[in-house]
Amino acid sequence: MISVLVKKGHELHVAGKPSQEIETLKKPDSVALLPEKIPFIKPRLKIKVGDRVKIGSTVFEDKRNPDIKFVSPGGGEITDIHFGPRRIIKKIVVKLDREEAFEDFSALDETEIEIVEKFELIKAIMSAGLWPLFRQLPFRNIADPNVTPPAIIVSLNSIEPFQPSPAVYLTEKAQLFDFGITILKRLSDTVIVSSSAKHFADLDTLSGYVTHLCKGPYPADDPGVLVYHTKTDPAQNTSWFIDGQDVLLLASFLKTGKYPIERTISVGGVLAPEKKHFRTRAGVPLRHLTQRHPIDEKTVRYIVGGILSGYADTGDSYAGFYETSLLMIPRGAEKEFFGFIRPGFNKPSRSRAFLSYFNPSDLPMDATYHGEERACINCGYCTDVCPVDILPQFTYKSILADEIEEALAHGLLDCVECGLCSYVCPSKIELFDVLKTTKMAYYLEQL
Amino acid sequence: MKLLGKFFDTQRKQFSEGGKLAALYPFFEALETLFFIPGTVTQKGPHIRDNLDLKRLMSFVILSLLPPLLFGIYNTGYQSNLASGLTPKFADAFIKGLTIVLPVILVSYGVGLFWEILFASIRKHYISEGFLVTGLLFPLTLPPTIPLWQVAMGISFGVVIGKEVFGGTGRNFLNPALTGRAFLFFAYPANMTGETVWTFVSGMKTASVDVVSGATPLAIAGIKGASDLVESSLAEAGFTYLKLFWGNYPGTIGGTSTLMCLIGAIFLIVTGIASYRIMLGGVLGVLAVAYPGYVLSLFKGNPAAPMLSLHPFYHLVLGGFAFGITYMATDPVSAPGMNTAKWIYGFAIGALTVLMRIFNPAFPEGIMLVILFMNLFSPLLDHYEIQARLKKRVPNV
Repeated sequence: MISVLVKKGHELHVAGKPSQEIETLKKPDSVALLPEKIPFIKPRLKIKVGDRVKIGSTVFEDKRNPDIKFVSPGGGEITDIHFGPRRIIKKIVVKLDREEAFEDFSALDETEIEIVEKFELIKAIMSAGLWPLFRQLPFRNIADPNVTPPAIIVSLNSIEPFQPSPAVYLTEKAQLFDFGITILKRLSDTVIVSSSAKHFADLDTLSGYVTHLCKGPYPADDPGVLVYHTKTDPAQNTSWFIDGQDVLLLASFLKTGKYPIERTISVGGVLAPEKKHFRTRAGVPLRHLTQRHPIDEKTVRYIVGGILSGYADTGDSYAGFYETSLLMIPRGAEKEFFGFIRPGFNKPSRSRAFLSYFNPSDLPMDATYHGEERACINCGYCTDVCPVDILPQFTYKSILADEIEEALAHGLLDCVECGLCSYVCPSKIELFDVLKTTKMAYYLEQL
Repeated sequence: MKLLGKFFDTQRKQFSEGGKLAALYPFFEALETLFFIPGTVTQKGPHIRDNLDLKRLMSFVILSLLPPLLFGIYNTGYQSNLASGLTPKFADAFIKGLTIVLPVILVSYGVGLFWEILFASIRKHYISEGFLVTGLLFPLTLPPTIPLWQVAMGISFGVVIGKEVFGGTGRNFLNPALTGRAFLFFAYPANMTGETVWTFVSGMKTASVDVVSGATPLAIAGIKGASDLVESSLAEAGFTYLKLFWGNYPGTIGGTSTLMCLIGAIFLIVTGIASYRIMLGGVLGVLAVAYPGYVLSLFKGNPAAPMLSLHPFYHLVLGGFAFGITYMATDPVSAPGMNTAKWIYGFAIGALTVLMRIFNPAFPEGIMLVILFMNLFSPLLDHYEIQARLKKRVPNV
């Protein structure tokens, strides 16, 4: 096992951690697909409102490569296709039947997987709409099935607050996980399983699979950070990565020949009524995760995904394809009187300018800026936290000056989209947003 | 507090788009955010943000300036009362100091703020908190006898030419407070240099002394002592090491006391607001240049440059070095942003300051110009460090 030490980053101490407890939820009334949240694809619908679908029926495909399909996570009737501005498809809702039907795919067992042709295997995964689980660095787009990746990285967990714990979702799934790793080994010669040192002990019997141990604060265990700190050759920049939980999906699909619909979702944040893990369906309504409790919609910010890297949504939305956590934190639109001079024992900050520096407990955080946007004063806090040694304060200035070559030389594409630069900025500049949108624009230009 | 909140809410209409005073919105915003941290909610990107904002950062710099400021007020009053033949008791001296220093600070803030609001209103950007620091740093570097109209001239030059013409805070490459001071230094040398400007003497007619000769320690150290040791000539003039460290001698309003600057520096370093690299680099720079010269002069004796024989530790307490390296050199905008570059920048400031003192007796106090000089080099230092770092990266394009 290789230890990877990442010095830069920042450990967030946010209150509202989900417990290790897991509860299996009842079936929801409906599930949905959110094409808008899948980066870069151009969806082409294969169904229309009123159509009947089975679990695993193709709902839409990517126009750029029609073999990349997205399938229905539920069986029933398509009741709503919601379009946003410029006809972007926001969500496709499937109202579930009492008894859902499955599409049949061919299953492969342990011996077959060793002998099956690689392209057959890829075809099987693609036909069931599971190919998008593989994503490719540095743009984090869906992996290109026509190339052999330098490595596939399985990131077992995320030290970003409130992500599902592998100790929970891997319980009693050791065999399935083993099968999943076997599948990955057919796709690439190098399969890396990374875990953060913090959660390594929780892995128990599965710890034998871990090849890379990431030591350091958030986001030390991000696949991009791992690649940055281990790469010796530019070819490694295009490694693929897959989430630990998604390896289970892949394995369960090939074993049973049925589209896997189970997901473990963690619910956290101070306003979450029940802070724990839920075993539920893919594409579950967010409301379903908080159903037993009334929520004051005005005061709560729903975040799907990580507290730094996730996206904000409303309570009546659905879980995304990649995201496996729901956070509920206070919006907190309160003004604070003479806030800038208070001692701040309860105000979390990376700097030492608040007494919270001496407060070891997890503190509640809300979604306010805690200040106003100002000009960059070159304080260099963003550089201090960047895990991949980008110089955000210089890089973002070169982006604003349209010096894209310079930004690339600074390592723009190494950016792991962790959001820490924006988090620490005292001038409240949207560094993360500037870097991310530039990166996305660069990807689109290259097509 | 609630009342105040309501007041701002009712007045917002006047200042927002279409209101009568819409042009002055930046002023309204600055005033409101002084009292209230606004509850603006994140729209994109990371959903939570660090509590540190620029207002707190800058108010901590102001907090760190309180020791030199308060001591400066006392010392100005004390020296003035001493020279004027009045009682130098603490309370009297402090009140006297207030009457001298407060108008200078008020003019500096008032005139500077006028320019800030003017530029912010026309450019439609916010008033940066950085000015609150500039507006206080500037008067502390001035002699107490400075005419108020010159204070107004200096801060105007500093804010407009030193900062606003380049686009405002964050885009200036020179320290605005020092730019203002440099302007006064060259435009009105009679009020900025010499032996009579350092003590504010009141009631000249009744006082027993008609001329107050107050050569600065640096002037004494630089000119005298061709035969004697500089240390003894300093001591003869009453400047023992301890006195220089404490700072109770005539000089600029806030820059005399090394002790107070040290307290401020420790506060800034502990809270992580200012770069310890620049400050320590500066101290190292001073010692690295002063020590070899000192050792050399011990062997050679009677050197051509008398300052060489001064013990290097004296350089740390003499003149404005302590104030300059603590508060002026650490201005993040005009200093380099890279860590190694910060060490070099600080080191060069310390080294050049001492070189100037030793080899240029006509111009003993060089810290101001040295910092401005190094400000010019900080983009270059940054550039070379970034280039060196980029070479180490495995390319990703």
